[in-house]
Amino acid sequence: MMRLPTWPQAWNRQQRSSATVAVASAVLVLLLWLMATPLAWAPEPIGNNAQSFAEGTRITVQLTLIAGLSGILIGVIAALGRTSRAIGLRWIASFYIWVVRGTPLLVQILFVFLALPTLVPVLRLDDFSSACVALAFNVGAYNAEAIRAGLLAVPKGQMEAARSLGLSRWYTFLDVSFPQAFKVALPPLVNNTVALLKDSSLAYAIGVVELTNVGNRIQAATFQPLPTLITTALIYLVLTTVTTQISGAVERYYDVEGRQP
Amino acid sequence: MNSPLITVEKVNKHFGPHHVLRDLSTYFLAGQVTAILGASGSGKSTLLRLLNRLERHDSGCIRVDGLEVCDALGNLDSLRRELGMVFQQFNLFPHMTVLDNVALAPRRVRKTPRAQAQAQALALLQRVGMQDHAHKYPYALSGGQQQRVAIARALAMQPKVLLFDEPTSALDPEMVKEVLDVMKQLAQSGMTMIVVTHEMGFAREVADRILFLDQGQVAQDASPDTFFGAQTNPRVRAFLGQVSR
Repeated sequence: MMRLPTWPQAWNRQQRSSATVAVASAVLVLLLWLMATPLAWAPEPIGNNAQSFAEGTRITVQLTLIAGLSGILIGVIAALGRTSRAIGLRWIASFYIWVVRGTPLLVQILFVFLALPTLVPVLRLDDFSSACVALAFNVGAYNAEAIRAGLLAVPKGQMEAARSLGLSRWYTFLDVSFPQAFKVALPPLVNNTVALLKDSSLAYAIGVVELTNVGNRIQAATFQPLPTLITTALIYLVLTTVTTQISGAVERYYDVEGRQP
Repeated sequence: MNSPLITVEKVNKHFGPHHVLRDLSTYFLAGQVTAILGASGSGKSTLLRLLNRLERHDSGCIRVDGLEVCDALGNLDSLRRELGMVFQQFNLFPHMTVLDNVALAPRRVRKTPRAQAQAQALALLQRVGMQDHAHKYPYALSGGQQQRVAIARALAMQPKVLLFDEPTSALDPEMVKEVLDVMKQLAQSGMTMIVVTHEMGFAREVADRILFLDQGQVAQDASPDTFFGAQTNPRVRAFLGQVSR
């Protein structure tokens, strides 16, 4: 993976990582805000649909951010359930992971949008919210296994040291086991989040006007699949590149032992 | 004579079919330095780990400063504050600087403000000769330096008793002394210490009392002079013969 900025040698690892996160986040915001302008210079059928592409990209990023952050929270909770001493909690968490990993994401999205309201009328959600819920619970199941692997990688002596100092279970988790587990779980979590960014395209099946849906509509209306689908793919590529830049910087931030080249 | 700080009465502990501690009874006085000796598998570390409930005893009664060691939550947390522990493998938190390792527990448990906790931590690091390394991470330190930080971390909660579980067994020989020196200095300051160790020199020189465990029972409870002097107990003689070789 390419590394965009080369920061001054005098900065330490954390300063360089923070700077990369700041720059990449700013690039993302600028991109979402201003991308219609350069796209408008492109020839037909991209130029005249620049606003639609920009709008679709914003929806895709919103889906990914909301589902991605909730998915990490769900993943932490499910991982704690999986590693809990209470057999009931272990069973519930295992069941959730089993069902979600064992069924297609498309079926889950359709289920939340179409079947859930007939089951529980209160849960009648609009298309965007349905997609967020389905994506969050989907990525949450995969995250749970990544975080569980991280929790299991923390040596038992760490918990013993924390408990022997009188730290409560909560602070032992918050200060000692979770930060170490998160560091181990970060690369697979990033994998899951990048997959989520692309999988959010399945939301088009329930009518969410995200990037893939926009591209598909334009190519259908103009009969020019080549430029529209290439543009769509390129925007995804830019988004995943920014995501991996940010996550790579976060990894380096926590790499206190300087193990990363 | 003052009353015991810790009493252990008829304690039993099993690991599966293995009966590790058998009806073990003893006591520990405030200000006393006790060295627990014995062959491996005799239950030394287990006894230590029962005191702050890293392991549960199956039967019997343990009291620390009047508190019964049991699962009642309030008891357990206040109990662990009274007992500091130093481990064979140091168990420093690798994602925190040396200073944060020492300051963490006072900040979280006693709610000491960060600046004050760090100032206290720095003073403790000075006491173990590690003040110059306060902003390093544990991976950058030698084993002996890590263990000295671990001692400072245990002291940060101002415990009444310090438990040492083979504190020098994982160290390279040239680093054993720096850790033992810190422990010696602690003992001289009047700290109550219970030390599981294989360092006979330390036991003889620093301990007030030797507790020799054999097959889960106290085989001998004696002063160092008696213990290392003309020994009549055949098991102790066999043990001393092994370690002095």
